[in-house]
Amino acid sequence: MRELKLLYLYPDMLELYGDYGNIQVLKYRLEKRNINLIIDRYSIGDKKPDFTSYDIVFAGGGADNEQSILSKDLIKFKDDIKEAIKNGVFFLLICGAYQLFGKYYKGVEGNIIPGLGIFDYYTEAIKDRSKRCIGNIVLEVNLNGDKYEVIGFENHGGQTYNVKNCFGKVLVGNGNKFEDKEEGYFINNVIATYLHGPLLSKNPKLTDYIIEYCLKRKYEEEIKLEPLDDTFEEKCREELFKVLEIKKEIR
Amino acid sequence: MYNILIITIAKILNFFAKILGKILKKDNGNLLGKIIKKISPNILTKFKINCPVIAVTATNGKTTTNNAIKYMIEKNGKKVVSNTEGNNMETGIITTLLKNCTITGKIKADFITLEVDESYVPVVFKKIPLDSLVVLNFFRDQLDRNGEVETLILKINEFLKTYSGNLILNNDDPNVVRLGKANKNNKNVYYFSVDKYKYATKNQTEAGEGKFCPFDDTKLEYEYYQYSHIGKFKCPKCGYGDEELFIKIENVDLENMSFEENGEMFFTKANNIYTIYNFAAVISIAKLYNLNAIDALKDFKLNNGRSEEIDINGVKTIINLAKNPTGANVSLRMLNEDKEEKELLFVLNDNPADGLDVSWIYDINFETVNVKRIITSGKRAYDMAIRIKTSFFDKDNIEAYLSIEEAVKSLYSSDVKKYVIANYTALQPTRKALLEYKKETKKE
Ligand SMILES: [Zn+2]
Repeated sequence: MRELKLLYLYPDMLELYGDYGNIQVLKYRLEKRNINLIIDRYSIGDKKPDFTSYDIVFAGGGADNEQSILSKDLIKFKDDIKEAIKNGVFFLLICGAYQLFGKYYKGVEGNIIPGLGIFDYYTEAIKDRSKRCIGNIVLEVNLNGDKYEVIGFENHGGQTYNVKNCFGKVLVGNGNKFEDKEEGYFINNVIATYLHGPLLSKNPKLTDYIIEYCLKRKYEEEIKLEPLDDTFEEKCREELFKVLEIKKEIR
Repeated sequence: MYNILIITIAKILNFFAKILGKILKKDNGNLLGKIIKKISPNILTKFKINCPVIAVTATNGKTTTNNAIKYMIEKNGKKVVSNTEGNNMETGIITTLLKNCTITGKIKADFITLEVDESYVPVVFKKIPLDSLVVLNFFRDQLDRNGEVETLILKINEFLKTYSGNLILNNDDPNVVRLGKANKNNKNVYYFSVDKYKYATKNQTEAGEGKFCPFDDTKLEYEYYQYSHIGKFKCPKCGYGDEELFIKIENVDLENMSFEENGEMFFTKANNIYTIYNFAAVISIAKLYNLNAIDALKDFKLNNGRSEEIDINGVKTIINLAKNPTGANVSLRMLNEDKEEKELLFVLNDNPADGLDVSWIYDINFETVNVKRIITSGKRAYDMAIRIKTSFFDKDNIEAYLSIEEAVKSLYSSDVKKYVIANYTALQPTRKALLEYKKETKKE
């Protein structure tokens, strides 16, 4: 039986907003195709993980104070993580983790939480605590040449600047900054984004894109995934497009 | 003179609002407060309060606990003014006090008990005197409205730095216990706890907050978890969590709905662990004010869809409100502890009062759910169906309907016992649909 190995970073700290659901969705779509998903967890105090031995690395969002505790821990692995990304390991980074992979996060009081600095972007909190980018968000994302609408929920005070390759164009919502046209960061094997929801729950094609990428890389062959019954997902998407008034024409 | 004028206006408005409310069949719980606050922003400071004010705040259990405290005090023969309808923000509290004051602003009562929204504690009690504050718990709730839980705790902590009244805290929630350290000079801090119950677990099985010591960031160690992050914890570094207990509930027996406190047996109508925590707070208040709680808790009814039982043409139906993962997990716990055959209806909305973000449903433990069929409904019926499906519950036994009427109709296509869980704004429409279905099918 084929299998993929996933590393879940800081499950006890970066787990706001049900982001663990992304792993749940990955596991579901893999196991329905008879592919096993092995989930290893790493948190502060555990043995250093071998990043390059994984197919997928996942990290979610956390509260501010937990973010600064783990930033100190994560930085120890900077070189290993860089190496793993170069090797093609897939990284799915949500919200707080998205920010941590950039240069820094500057808090409301001007305090700086240093990031891994693997990517060039940086994030600054909005001074006014009550102002946050909150709401349903829809992006147009390019997956191997196919346009796909990615639906999620954004909730962040941080404004992320200097993003070179965005994850998607914003159709509804804010994005990296207030009223931005772009959201997240995307290269071949890294998706870093503010989208909760959880992200993968409403976007089966995106989940399958990640699965295909990982299988192709691991087994070095063309992969044609068996289609699944996505009736609930399709209806969920239709309903949200209707509520958010996204017309068929733009889609 | 100005005060009398404002209150007179309020009383007249209230009179018309009552008539208007009757005509429109609408609740005016906050409206009066809203209008008066516009005219007189500091109206709260104008009331003449000569009795103790007791307030309850928490993420879960505010309404139940406040209602139980009121009921308990009344059972002791005292007069209580309280916002029992759950109008727990500043305008709701203004409304409650306006309706219960004399023309000069005097509140004639032996006690005022208030349920207060977590983010309004500092706002309201800057303006009215507070004698006792009960803090039950902090969970994830509508994060998009309040900001992160931590921000909320810090706000209340800041307020407590200069507060020296009674502070009654849940010793089993690390997010709550830290508030006892806000003002080192306050000698009136009291902790309550509930001893390990039958379904407590060694490891955490449900999402929760507060895993680190707030004073030195060390990972907290738990002897056991009652539910979510509520349980017996301690910081291995500084000993945080090891407080002297004022009230300790022991021998919790949910089947017989009884427990013990200081050698005395309590019989209640509570069949779940988190109501026992609410009652521990009620008993703490009773002890502080020299009142009796045993008789009151014996017949205090739990209502408002919080564990309500109705009969629909011979089919037993249990309705629960779940505003957040903790609430939902407690409901599922009750369902799993019930050995009878049953089906579940879960209704999920995403209106502003619910929180627009429905990601929290992934913190609900469907992995162990023990039912034959699950029906989902509400504005986010499909999100719920996806959530349940990805927990590996057989998708052929899941049905999703946007329309609550259709969902209810399908639910009663079989006659096994039903559990219904609905979130905040979904609860009333769901109850209505159930009762209407009952009426319709009776005629035939
Ligand atoms: Zn400590």
